[in-house]
Amino acid sequence: MIIDYLILSIILFCIGILGVISRRNVFTVFMSIELMLNAANLAFIAFSRLHESMDGHVLAMMVMAVAAAEAALALAVVILLHKHKSKLDTNVFSLLKG
Amino acid sequence: MKKNTRKGAIDIMLAELLFTVFAALSVIGALGLILSRHPMNGAISLVVTMISLAGLYSLLSAKLIFVLQLIVYAGAIMSLILFIIMFLNIRNEDLPDERFRWLYYLGGAVLLVPVAQLMIKAAKSLPGTEATIVGGDFGSVKSVGLVLFKDWLLPFEIVSILLLVALVGAVVLAGKRRAES
Repeated sequence: MIIDYLILSIILFCIGILGVISRRNVFTVFMSIELMLNAANLAFIAFSRLHESMDGHVLAMMVMAVAAAEAALALAVVILLHKHKSKLDTNVFSLLKG
Repeated sequence: MKKNTRKGAIDIMLAELLFTVFAALSVIGALGLILSRHPMNGAISLVVTMISLAGLYSLLSAKLIFVLQLIVYAGAIMSLILFIIMFLNIRNEDLPDERFRWLYYLGGAVLLVPVAQLMIKAAKSLPGTEATIVGGDFGSVKSVGLVLFKDWLLPFEIVSILLLVALVGAVVLAGKRRAES
């Protein structure tokens, strides 16, 4: 059933949120965001199969493009921060704190 | 006719078996991502999740997205992340101190389980169909491309501008260091 795919997508999204809010490692937080994007993609494809129209496939391709752009920029930022602080802790990166 | 329906029933059973295997693998990979301490183990678990999601896309007869998931996500993005993790040469003492992360898991689960239950309840109220394989042109390169360039032309161009901006931003961020020295 299509609903099983949607439930799997909800479960994966919640695991991604759990990774973002409970981990302090920059890479793990970043990969959890990737996992959430993947869960959204799965929901798009499942709805596209449910209605037998291909708009969801196009949206999934755009999410992939956004994820690629995000990966390039986020990894560049992580490398810069690691050069400055040589740490991977998200609590260290609080430069904007007042 | 009777033979055809029996074959259809076997097909649906096979699809459900494959769905169960891929769904279990993807959830195990996601849990491995958030539970493992070193980001390298997490990245390998995420690769498992992405490959099993590609299998799920093929079960949903999205042929182009299946290929793109394997090439772009499991291939390009994950190899980029793995490359950066290995490039930074992270040792165990470089990792942040996460002694209390079990408390965070517990609190996060307490927060998220009701939300997930609500969403699952909403999803169950949708009309469902069997996820049989749609034959013909559904999800092929040609038909998705036609939809992309007919109905989604403006968003496609905006995405190309986004990729250009990301490219320029990555060059600026990476080249800054060299300009200073």
